[in-house]
Amino acid sequence: MTYRTASIIAYIVFFAVVLALPLVLNSFWTNRVAIYLVYSICAIGISMSWGYAGILSLGQGLFFGMGAYMLAMSLTLAVPDNNPVPQLMLLNMEPDAVRDLCCVTTGSFLWIPFRSVAVGMIAGIVVPCILAAGIGYVMFKRRTTGVYVSIITLAFALIGQLLIINNQPLTGGFNGLADLALLEIGGFEFDPYGPSAYYAVAFTLIVVILLARYMLAGRIGQVLKAIREDEARARYLGYDVENYKLFIFCVSAGVAGLAGMLFTLTSEFATPSLMATSLSISMVIWAATGGRASLLGACIGALIVNFVGSLASESATFQPVWPIILGLLFVVVVLFMPNGIAGIFKAFIERSGKAERFAKAELSAREA
Amino acid sequence: METFVIGLSIASILFMVALGLAIIYGTMNVINLAHGEMVMIGAYTTVLATKHLGFNIYLCLPLAFLVTATFGLIIERTVVRRLYGRLLDTLLATWGIALILQQLIRIHFGLGLFGVEIDGLGSDLQNVPVPAELQQAFQLFGANIPVYRAFVFVAALALGAITWLLMFRTRFGSQLRAVSVARNTAAACGINDKRVNMLAFAYGSGLAGIAGVLVSGFKTVSPDMGTPYVVDAFLVVVAGGVGHLLGTFASAGILGEVQSFVATWANDVYGRTVLFAVVIFILLFKPQGLFVTKSR
Repeated sequence: MTYRTASIIAYIVFFAVVLALPLVLNSFWTNRVAIYLVYSICAIGISMSWGYAGILSLGQGLFFGMGAYMLAMSLTLAVPDNNPVPQLMLLNMEPDAVRDLCCVTTGSFLWIPFRSVAVGMIAGIVVPCILAAGIGYVMFKRRTTGVYVSIITLAFALIGQLLIINNQPLTGGFNGLADLALLEIGGFEFDPYGPSAYYAVAFTLIVVILLARYMLAGRIGQVLKAIREDEARARYLGYDVENYKLFIFCVSAGVAGLAGMLFTLTSEFATPSLMATSLSISMVIWAATGGRASLLGACIGALIVNFVGSLASESATFQPVWPIILGLLFVVVVLFMPNGIAGIFKAFIERSGKAERFAKAELSAREA
Repeated sequence: METFVIGLSIASILFMVALGLAIIYGTMNVINLAHGEMVMIGAYTTVLATKHLGFNIYLCLPLAFLVTATFGLIIERTVVRRLYGRLLDTLLATWGIALILQQLIRIHFGLGLFGVEIDGLGSDLQNVPVPAELQQAFQLFGANIPVYRAFVFVAALALGAITWLLMFRTRFGSQLRAVSVARNTAAACGINDKRVNMLAFAYGSGLAGIAGVLVSGFKTVSPDMGTPYVVDAFLVVVAGGVGHLLGTFASAGILGEVQSFVATWANDVYGRTVLFAVVIFILLFKPQGLFVTKSR
């Protein structure tokens, strides 16, 4: 069996399992697994930019959080109590302010487009993309590379988090947006604890992973790998390194934004903690555990780490030890399995493939 | 003036944390995200030593240095040593170590699982008593200056001076500088570069431990207190120019003051926002740092 066939089989098995899971899970676990699948989409975003192009963004949480907030704003306005002005603004407004979205608090006019859920959903992808384009344009045109990219993205995510916490009247501050309506498209309501939201997440995941694979298997993927291995050489060969990096950085941000929206859909809140450094770094660790250069690996890494994590937090003995295990996992993955689970899988397949070929060769030699 | 003094004390703490980070990053090309946890451990050393051993804050300074330097030594020997040359991987692995250290404090080094609890550990906030002579304030140019902030500033200057002497006036220092400029050449000349790495990592961690003692005097101590420091300190290091003591010193001063003035003028959050924005601009337009004149 070659690695190619093996990985196609792995994809098919993974999709089948993901699609079949709601049949055996109760509503609590359907919701939990849906959230883990959201995290998987984040890990795919990381794998695209880090695994393929070598851009380690530690600010992925910023794009994730932006996506979550965009949809959450629309869903906040969809709650009847929050019309025409959300409760959180009424609590924070000046006593004599006009009770309209245009001017109830400073900047509240920014909410006006979000009266339409469709705008919220489009903004959930487009706004992170535009933000990433801005950050990326300045970074990559200045030829910032490697660890400086990580630090700059980290700083941007911190700024985003601080600004959201600080603008309480506009964003709900530290508590975020929690009073949300259910998402309804064309009269169909997505129930976070039922199969509807789960399948929305699962289908998005499958579409994202297939599109990403299709894109990265082609020319773009090859050029990105070349950039990862040796940026200067790729530039001398005539590739427009900056634009390729900018492109994948934006795509990865868009994927994170999409995941953020699905997070709002499944867990019904958006808080500044989605932009925290620890979540951004966790995303990187999920991708590293599964295999940074493998989209499916990154996915599975996110699922495994989160699943084991929530099992551990169920038990009173393991709950306090879990962060230690997680920390050890970081260290062990980095030290001993730099290509993650996917790397081990690949090595195993190749070794058994070699053994098979060797056995065949020996057999034919004996017959001769 | 008061704002300026607050800025100075922010800058002093930043400088002490960043100094250790600068040595570690500049010499070994390792990003140590567990550096903030060294500050935290320094602070907890103070909490424990004042509670159980009756130490005052002055005695805690050398003690915390030894404790955190030992932690640094262990981290270098077990994990970081295997990762030289893999910059981004050091960042991830040390983040893992940071998680472990934080949690170890929360669960009383594992004793909490067996029902044994040590007073001063755990997830609660802790406070450290400050000696009476440091709680007063004195007048300077008509401004009211708390003695503690002045003490922090003096300590930072002293540590800066000691580090300078160590780097430029001792045999170890010249070996360290040789290794940071050209590792292989230095090793070929008979310098034991692994030993230099190990000691530099321990010394850098020790400096963070001392910063931890001083921080514990005016901030509450908690297991996750270290993370903001490591981010800020790293920004200071890269803004000042990697591997330049003077650059680190100056950029800590500038960033501390920027933060303090914006925080007084607007609020704390904008203080930090502007700090990050300034550093991002420095990185974008002068990626080798503010105070580096020659490039290598």
